[in-house]
Amino acid sequence: MINLIVIVVSAMMLALLMGWWRWPAFRTWFEAPKHSMLRQERRFDDQNATRTAARLHSSQGS
Amino acid sequence: MTTGSETPFHRVEQRDTQPDPGVPSVDYGLIRAHVLASFATLLISVAFGLVVATKLNLPEFLGGHAWLTWGRLRYNHTQGIFFGWLGNAFLAFLYYVVPRLADRPVLSRKLGWLLFWIWNCAVVLPGWVLVAAGFSQPLEWAEFPLVVDAFVVLAFILMVFEFVLPFLRARLSDLYVSAWYIIGGIIFTMLAYPVGNLVPELVPGARGAAFSGLWIHDAVGLYVTPFALAIAYYVIPATTRRAIFSHFLSMVGFWLLFFIYPLNGTHHYVYSAIPMAAQKGAIVASAYLGMDVILVVANLLLSLRGSSGTVGRDVPLRFVWFGVVSYLLVSLQGSVQALMPVNRFIHFTDWVIGHSHFAMIGFASFIALGGIAHLWQRIPGTRYNERTMNWSFWLLAAGLTLMVADLTIAGLVEGQVWASSAPWMESVCAVASYWLVRTFSGLPILAGLVLFFTSLVSGPGPSAAITPVASREAYIPAVEGDASISHEPPSSGRIRHAHVIIFGAGAGFFALSFLVLAILPGKELEDEIQRVAPVTMPTLTASEQKGRVVYGREGCAYCHTQQIRSLAEDVRRFGAPTEAWETKYDYPQLWGTRRIGPDLSREFNVRPRDWQLTHLYNPRLVVQDSVMPPYSWLFNGSPDRPTQEALDVVAYLETLGRARQLSGLERQAPGSSVQPGTADMVMAGEPSARATPPTVPIAMTGGYSLSAPVLHPASDPDDLQEEVSRGGALFAANCASCHGSGGVGDGKASASLLPKPANLTAARFSDERLSSVLWNGVAGSSMPPWRQLPTEDLRALVAYIQSLHSSGAAPSTQGATSLNDGESLFAANCAGCHGARGAGDGPVAGGLAPQPTNFHLKKPDRERALEVLANGLPGTAMPPWKSQLSVDQRHALAEFVRSLYGPPQEISRE
Repeated sequence: MINLIVIVVSAMMLALLMGWWRWPAFRTWFEAPKHSMLRQERRFDDQNATRTAARLHSSQGS
Repeated sequence: MTTGSETPFHRVEQRDTQPDPGVPSVDYGLIRAHVLASFATLLISVAFGLVVATKLNLPEFLGGHAWLTWGRLRYNHTQGIFFGWLGNAFLAFLYYVVPRLADRPVLSRKLGWLLFWIWNCAVVLPGWVLVAAGFSQPLEWAEFPLVVDAFVVLAFILMVFEFVLPFLRARLSDLYVSAWYIIGGIIFTMLAYPVGNLVPELVPGARGAAFSGLWIHDAVGLYVTPFALAIAYYVIPATTRRAIFSHFLSMVGFWLLFFIYPLNGTHHYVYSAIPMAAQKGAIVASAYLGMDVILVVANLLLSLRGSSGTVGRDVPLRFVWFGVVSYLLVSLQGSVQALMPVNRFIHFTDWVIGHSHFAMIGFASFIALGGIAHLWQRIPGTRYNERTMNWSFWLLAAGLTLMVADLTIAGLVEGQVWASSAPWMESVCAVASYWLVRTFSGLPILAGLVLFFTSLVSGPGPSAAITPVASREAYIPAVEGDASISHEPPSSGRIRHAHVIIFGAGAGFFALSFLVLAILPGKELEDEIQRVAPVTMPTLTASEQKGRVVYGREGCAYCHTQQIRSLAEDVRRFGAPTEAWETKYDYPQLWGTRRIGPDLSREFNVRPRDWQLTHLYNPRLVVQDSVMPPYSWLFNGSPDRPTQEALDVVAYLETLGRARQLSGLERQAPGSSVQPGTADMVMAGEPSARATPPTVPIAMTGGYSLSAPVLHPASDPDDLQEEVSRGGALFAANCASCHGSGGVGDGKASASLLPKPANLTAARFSDERLSSVLWNGVAGSSMPPWRQLPTEDLRALVAYIQSLHSSGAAPSTQGATSLNDGESLFAANCAGCHGARGAGDGPVAGGLAPQPTNFHLKKPDRERALEVLANGLPGTAMPPWKSQLSVDQRHALAEFVRSLYGPPQEISRE
């Protein structure tokens, strides 16, 4: 049973590595989320900056 | 406007500039509430930990109150960290990060507040109160009682709705690694928690321990680690504004974690009765996990390449970086300590406590703190005080480093002592100074946490809290694949398929872990129990069962294991290895994972009840250097006035090992002793081999040997003086608590012991007598065997005890007539017990404990003999003879028994 688990997990990892090496599109698909995460971070930060600035202006105006 | 093209794996979409579809809302109120709750519970939990640590050096500190006893505080310390601190910190970060990762708000604000109140007011606070009040489970990481567990499961179900559903409805075409960790952490903890908390209550002993082992590791691997790594994977790119090194590697690490981590559980029970195949499987999985962690940490640290300056400047990132490095070190440490050659040495020692603090503070807490600081800076209108937070970092890092180094060394010291034949208390005394350092190392940690919280609430005003928009272009470097990002709903529904895959594969491995490490071993253990267990194995009486509950609620299992491993060191010290059948009525199992006191598996028939009660009332009355807490609330003011609960506990202690002894499996060859070269026991698959220990245990396991070595003190006066001097020190450390510092039997514990400890100044003892008593103890009294002491120490004790008696005792003034009278009186009144020749071997002696005195080996002073003849010896079969014998007769008898001293052949006066 232990050998089977080790073989199965190793085979899965090997398959992933093979896919990575053989198909560039696979690579692109796999790496895409790390860029979308950064885009999201910027969207939220921009919004927060806008809100904070607006709050600051309104507090200064009043 | 969008254009798209298909690849075999991904729909690549290219977007023209278009309006932002709208940023999901983030509930910063919930974030603040959880941050506040996390620090409130953290500071309380750390305070619990400090008190617990202090009690190891000052056992009486805050003693005498049930609510403040070591065991209950220890339960609340770890559960507070687990649920109160980390739970709230993770939840705060989830409210911050899920809308960003899913591009959807969390499901419901109301649900969020319901979750907040359930988590804190139905889990953490009631859990603490119930544990303090004595309602708990004696299971590692599962100490809150079952009623609280129900709310934990409910909370995780609510988390699925609150945090997982937004991902299922996500508008992102791909899922970032943090999201995978969040989904995996919530779902698999929801599944693992009830198994780890409920199953050991339903499946007894060794079989239940297999499930407990899984949960002990799943608590860290499926709950703490995924959320901590989700934070690390988010904070690093969000701070450096560069994508992580490889999302591919991050996903490989993710899958390996969820595949491998659950398979680690049984490495907490290496050399136990759990089948060896399961143990080895867990060890292999532990090695695999180490490789996975190397991969994960390499990916995270490579994500920081070129950003070392940022790590230095940005305090939240520095916290996360410290946590990532700690993750590497503590995980590799974990992999190594699962290996059998290492495990046999360090398991149950403080090394493991250092390891767990390293994991929970160095890894999880540092990353959680980094995550909180990171998000705090991004809540509109809030900033932290950087200077204060910087101080917090260094205090925490210094305190943790000191604590881990100290406990690691302490563990090595304990392992060294345990592997020798030194008495157990030597290991306690050897690490006392390390415990003190550990306690002090907690102070900078507490101060660091207080400073951290101060930094959150003392930051600059809102004018400083504007995100530097000017630098935002740096967020997204022009890298390959950036064009593939889309915020459109995935037309192919791929994301839903991905969730199905994660759930299916993860659930498959999760189920596999229980099959391989719990269900199959459990079946094997069940078969073994049926094959090996005695037909008439006694169950616990109601009193014993109640005592077991008290034993569990007071945390006794957290210092005393009930698990003798199949190791020569364990067998020599405690007796035969614990077998599965011995635990067949243990609901839940009380194997324990730590030894501060000795293992108690073979406590049956070792010590009399009054010793146990005195020890329970105040351990230092009978064991001078004990660090066990006093349980005085189980008594009505004194050890001889126990409550029913105290009697129940002692009744339970007296059952430990009972089934084994009554079954006849505890066969021990008389005269055998500690064999330093004893090999480890044969293990899995050969229960019959485990059933016959090769040696007599060092101590405390009964089996009084009749062939104690005779320890003759040195004959050279100088050597004898040296022995007496050393014996005095040994006596003060080991014997004075009962016999008193002067040896007159008036030690602190003597008030509650029956029979009273011997007055060693009132009799002359032969070498043989003292050797036998030190080697075997005195059955029926509180005198335990001391054969675990080195032979030279026993010899020194013999020399010292003999020096207590004045050798210049007055010679007999009675004539031969009087001796003849005494002999007649002895034959008529005493020979039934003491034997015709006064050797303590009368016809009824075999049924008496303590056995009648052998006057050839012990010569009482005249006054002592007369006193005993007049008043008897309470607690023994010796009655008072005041009313039956006249003063003259008692004098004659006293002189006669005193004349017997010496070898029997010399007393013949024919």
